[in-house]
Amino acid sequence: MKSELNLGTSLEGITILEIGDQMGDYASMLLAGLGAEVVKLEPREGSPSRGIGPFASDTHDREQSLFFWRYNLNKKSAMLDVDDPSARRALSTLASKADIVLLSGEYETVARRLELWRKIAEDNPRLIVCTITPFGLDGPHRALKTTDLVQMALGGIMAVCGYDPNKDGAYDTPPIAPAMWHSYHLGGEYAAVAMMAAINFRELSGEGQFIDVSVHEAVNTCTEVAIPTYVYSGLVVKRQTARHAAPNITHARLTKSADGIFMLASLSPFEREQRALAQLADEVGIAHVLGTPEFAQLEKDDHVAAAIYRNDLLEQLVESLPADDLFHRAQKLGLAWSPIRRPEQNLDDPHFAARGSFATIHHPELGRDLRYPGTVASDGHAPHFSYTRRAPRLGEHTDEVLRRVKS
Amino acid sequence: MSEANSNGKRALEGVRVLDLTWLQVGPQATRLLATFGAQVIRIEWRERKAIDFIRYVPPFAPDHATADGGRSQGISPRGHGIRGNYDRAGYFNNTNPGKYGITLNLNHSKGRDLLRRMVREANVICENFSPGQMDKWGLGYEDLRKLNPRIIYIQTTGVGKAGTYKDYVSYGPTAQAFSGLTFLSGLPEPQPPAGWGYSYLDHSPGYFGAIMLMAAIRRQRLSGVGCYIDMSQSETGLMLSGTSMLEHQLTGKPTARYGNRMPYLDWSPHGAYRCSGDDNWIAISIQSDEQWRALVEEMGSPEWARAARFATIASRKQHEDDLDAKLTAYTKGRERYDLMNRLQARGIAAGVVQKAPDRFDNDPQLKARGYYVDLPHSDIGTWPIEGFPAKLSRSPANIGGETNRAAPKLGEDNDFVYGKLVGLSDAEMASLREEEVI
Repeated sequence: MKSELNLGTSLEGITILEIGDQMGDYASMLLAGLGAEVVKLEPREGSPSRGIGPFASDTHDREQSLFFWRYNLNKKSAMLDVDDPSARRALSTLASKADIVLLSGEYETVARRLELWRKIAEDNPRLIVCTITPFGLDGPHRALKTTDLVQMALGGIMAVCGYDPNKDGAYDTPPIAPAMWHSYHLGGEYAAVAMMAAINFRELSGEGQFIDVSVHEAVNTCTEVAIPTYVYSGLVVKRQTARHAAPNITHARLTKSADGIFMLASLSPFEREQRALAQLADEVGIAHVLGTPEFAQLEKDDHVAAAIYRNDLLEQLVESLPADDLFHRAQKLGLAWSPIRRPEQNLDDPHFAARGSFATIHHPELGRDLRYPGTVASDGHAPHFSYTRRAPRLGEHTDEVLRRVKS
Repeated sequence: MSEANSNGKRALEGVRVLDLTWLQVGPQATRLLATFGAQVIRIEWRERKAIDFIRYVPPFAPDHATADGGRSQGISPRGHGIRGNYDRAGYFNNTNPGKYGITLNLNHSKGRDLLRRMVREANVICENFSPGQMDKWGLGYEDLRKLNPRIIYIQTTGVGKAGTYKDYVSYGPTAQAFSGLTFLSGLPEPQPPAGWGYSYLDHSPGYFGAIMLMAAIRRQRLSGVGCYIDMSQSETGLMLSGTSMLEHQLTGKPTARYGNRMPYLDWSPHGAYRCSGDDNWIAISIQSDEQWRALVEEMGSPEWARAARFATIASRKQHEDDLDAKLTAYTKGRERYDLMNRLQARGIAAGVVQKAPDRFDNDPQLKARGYYVDLPHSDIGTWPIEGFPAKLSRSPANIGGETNRAAPKLGEDNDFVYGKLVGLSDAEMASLREEEVI
């Protein structure tokens, strides 16, 4: 049941022409989920992201890329070679009916294509032209060769993610890029923020504009205390297993449950959590001294020893119960603990089912539905983002789009 | 940055945001709104439980930093920490530039009345209290909507206010573990997950929040309606879990981790390789056999690299452990930036795993783009603040926002906000101060 105040149609009437690669897929899909019409203009061989796996079948053809499916929901596809000079008139006409042109890819390609769009924008002062490139359109590194991994390295996220050092303080394991395509997630989210700002500005001023998104800077914004710690104190944070990078190595907190699942279980300094730990130990039947005068004395005399005792008790608790049991028991006592789930374990979770977190998308070619993560928020009744159509097949909407050019 | 655009209109001009959020998950969204010109009013109260916890979190400005000084006076790991001064925390300063700061006691009925009065004139209200807290105060969406039908109300919680686990509690790392993001990071099993070195799910709701709020603000401007947004940190995690769930639905296979390798494209070698110095690394992505041959040439064409088992992508993938070990033997004596430049010159995607000093002191690209922005703070002086990662030609991002300042001191703008914006008289303000309301 959708309320009249749902945001899923809030961008209806906004049209985005998308030209480029995997750096742009996500940004425009976010706005498509709020009701914008997104038309991908693809070359004969298809957008580069149609070549990224995993694939739905062993043939690995351009209609089977799960990457493309994931990041192109709700969109349309028209086959139009934007680099062919004979396409110029069609592009002008499409631009005159569009609100945003989104160009993504390596600097050379985007800069070359941008020349044409600068001319087209002169005749369409309301047009918003957004570029997403690895480093932005200027600066000495603008043309460096990159991939998602290289962006995560240069942007600083890898240096704060990975495993604990050994006992001598040296690292035996490399820094880790956490989850694939993360730099494009960040670039895409910020591009969507910037496009929304430009749309709002246009409502006030009637003016379009150019937006130059740098994936490198987007990654840089997202390392939390790493930069402030260096800026204010001169200290450099160190990466640590499944916890925040910090100038010092903090207490390890990955423990396996009785059924072998890693749990994220830790205690904050809040007294409420200390009491909850004692209560949970009581429930499970693990003897402890929390709450006794002796423990209170220990806390006064040696708070480090007291903390070690609490952490030992916590680990004993985690090891004594299956992960899901522990999760619900801990949460009912107000402890922010969770099993480290595989993503797919959420597909059948009743909480996400109740919220409508997954969009059910029909794939006629497969003869079945697939469920996609489809929102980040609810309006109290229904998801705010609305995804209803699978990613387009290459050129699926060419006729529809070309009719627009002719009309 | 801010000089260049101080005369133009702002994208969110005239938009007033009441910001009851704290930590990172809420203030990130309002930071972005302030950057685009919204008037953001941070609301705290001067009791320990109602002061933003980030004010307690290190790093702190060094003791010698004063209002007319700042970073130019030097840095120090030996600050005195918090010691009852809530205005010296560096991460708070970085998270809350461009916002006004006021104190308001919501546990006092007159404080709640004053908030209601402010809601009548506001466009947006943001909060990330425990689920249900605002309802208990009579300040929930349905209550506030009666006062201002146009109001946009956003709340962010770990799992969402609606749903089976609505009472469950969560920090960013909890939501990361729950949603599957923690699992996705790290070396293949049986190695444990490496997880994330920061609360990514305290950041992504900020970006999503800004996107949704700006969609809602536009609609409010055009058609005068508001909305209620129940954002779930965990759902933002699901959105970012890539193709894993689709693959699982089609194949039934459990999701796997791949470290820094690339199983989804014909790319190899692909990883972080040790360089000379202390914990120095370089990321290298070889995307074709041609690039592999260029790398072999750069290495001086050693015999191992010319072996048939490494000649094609399929074969390199088959022998990836051995390949990584041999490549490391080459990189580990090399200076990281020199190697990056040499590989880049050959058209190879390679980049140093940059640490904070590399990014802050030396990154020529960030310097050229003016990424860090110096902004004054009324107690600790002028410090560099992380910027916005895009240039907009007509309505530029302005990290200093309407205040043209870094973060507010606790209650710094009480006189301006209550006096000028809300319109309280001096006598009213004095009496509310007396009664511990503001």
